[in-house]
Amino acid sequence: MKYSAVLLGLAAILAIGRCEDEVNEAAHLLVSKQILNRYLVETMDIVVKYTVHNVGNSAALEVEITDNSFHPDNFAHISGELNARIDRVPPGTNVSHTVVVRPRKYGYFNFTAAEVLYRRTEDAPRMQVAVSSEPGEGLVVAFRDYDKKFSSHVIDWAAFAVMTLPSLAIPFALWYSSKSKYEKLSKSTKKH
Amino acid sequence: MSGKSKAFTKEEELLLQDFSRNVSTKSSALFYGNAFIVSAIPIWLFWRIHLIDLYSSLISFVLVTIASTYLVALAYKNTKFVLKHKIAVKREDAVTREMNRKLAEDKKMSKKEKDERILWKKNEVADYEATTFSIFYNNAIFLALVILLSFYILRTFSPAANYTISIGTASGLLALLSTGTPLS
Amino acid sequence: MNRLIVLCIIAVTTSLALAETCQKPEVSASAYVTEDATVLTNIAFTTQFTLKCSNGAKGVSLYAEVEGKTLPAVRLSADNKYQVSWTEDIKKARSGDYNVNLYDEEGYSALRKAIRNGEDPSSVKPLAVVVLNNPGAYLGPWINSELLAAFLAAFVTYTAFSAKWKLLS
Repeated sequence: MKYSAVLLGLAAILAIGRCEDEVNEAAHLLVSKQILNRYLVETMDIVVKYTVHNVGNSAALEVEITDNSFHPDNFAHISGELNARIDRVPPGTNVSHTVVVRPRKYGYFNFTAAEVLYRRTEDAPRMQVAVSSEPGEGLVVAFRDYDKKFSSHVIDWAAFAVMTLPSLAIPFALWYSSKSKYEKLSKSTKKH
Repeated sequence: MSGKSKAFTKEEELLLQDFSRNVSTKSSALFYGNAFIVSAIPIWLFWRIHLIDLYSSLISFVLVTIASTYLVALAYKNTKFVLKHKIAVKREDAVTREMNRKLAEDKKMSKKEKDERILWKKNEVADYEATTFSIFYNNAIFLALVILLSFYILRTFSPAANYTISIGTASGLLALLSTGTPLS
Repeated sequence: MNRLIVLCIIAVTTSLALAETCQKPEVSASAYVTEDATVLTNIAFTTQFTLKCSNGAKGVSLYAEVEGKTLPAVRLSADNKYQVSWTEDIKKARSGDYNVNLYDEEGYSALRKAIRNGEDPSSVKPLAVVVLNNPGAYLGPWINSELLAAFLAAFVTYTAFSAKWKLLS
């Protein structure tokens, strides 16, 4: 299909925060950004899911996810905010955040990474910067093309049926009524 | 043909043939009108479902509809011609009986006139049934062919090509089927 | 799973000292559940809500419990605004109402304890409840109208052929 370029439940390729100073007891976050769509279609929902995995051995604090890649000019924000904070992510757990957007235009769109800030330990002097995985480029299909492929066109077909019905039913009914009239007659003839 | 319709006299045969070959202007108008309607209706499908561009395909709509109208009308005529004799044979007894019953009271009418009336009625019934059935039969096949061609066989084609090919093939095939196959 | 629970309990108890309790909580929520599943692989359930406390408590950590799963409420840019969101496989997501029970840290640890001891989790009273309705995902038309049209056309054509056959026989 044309839009096989569409992202299929992208396996999380995770970007790893830069670890400048190795601390033994510290949080370490892997953040994935997934597009949970089969097709990307103009004016239809796109589900974006951010999952924060803490693979470190201490809780990550003040985790903040910011995604500036969905510009309001290009996307309508339907539900969920593109800036979210999680108080703490305990080690060995993951927390997810989901946002629904709708593209306003069709064409190729590059889904870039979200930024993540967090504190690796409670007394960490500065925030750790990390980026999420990048879903990559996807083709947003025009609604018209999607509709052509997937709409059932029930009303259009019903209208077609209404239009064709007279051209089939009228001649058939006329023929059938004459046929049954004379068949009846010929049957009664044979009986006599 | 003559072998099977042995119930007719030569005179009758000639009369029937004459009637069926030269389609009257009235039934000709009926054929062309019907053929036009059935040829034009599929444009709806191409517009609404195949999303053909209406303005740029206007010329092809006109040309294809004209060609298709001609071919479908030809198929109507051919089918009617083939069917009329068969129907005349089938209806003979019933029509004769019906007419005899009707004309029984009219004692003034000569035997020859009665026979002529019966023959005329026979022709009328056969003509009527052959015409209506031919229209139904060809419309059904034409529409089924259009759906099959445009939605299954030619679905990957561009809407404009799909339109021209599917309507052209359907009407062409219809005309060919009505003449080509030995039906009796 | 056990380890996870223990960790959560620790997390809750350590941060307990910082938390302010919310008096007479009031929640105003908006929710969105994706409906047209023809383009999606998962159904997204999202709700955003504002928590109002009569004592003006701010920055309360909230947790949510939905269908036996627990998840932290994510804080949004505005003060006291939270989001709870999750996704579910299209085939597994049932339609109907989903109750999102919200707990503060205290309630959350009580809930965890109840679950761990095999007690009824509903005995722990939530701070507030947000209801999400999933009207049922639209998975596309149940019948392909093209196919139906083709079948009807085939049926009519069959009638026409058989009638003609009878006429010619």
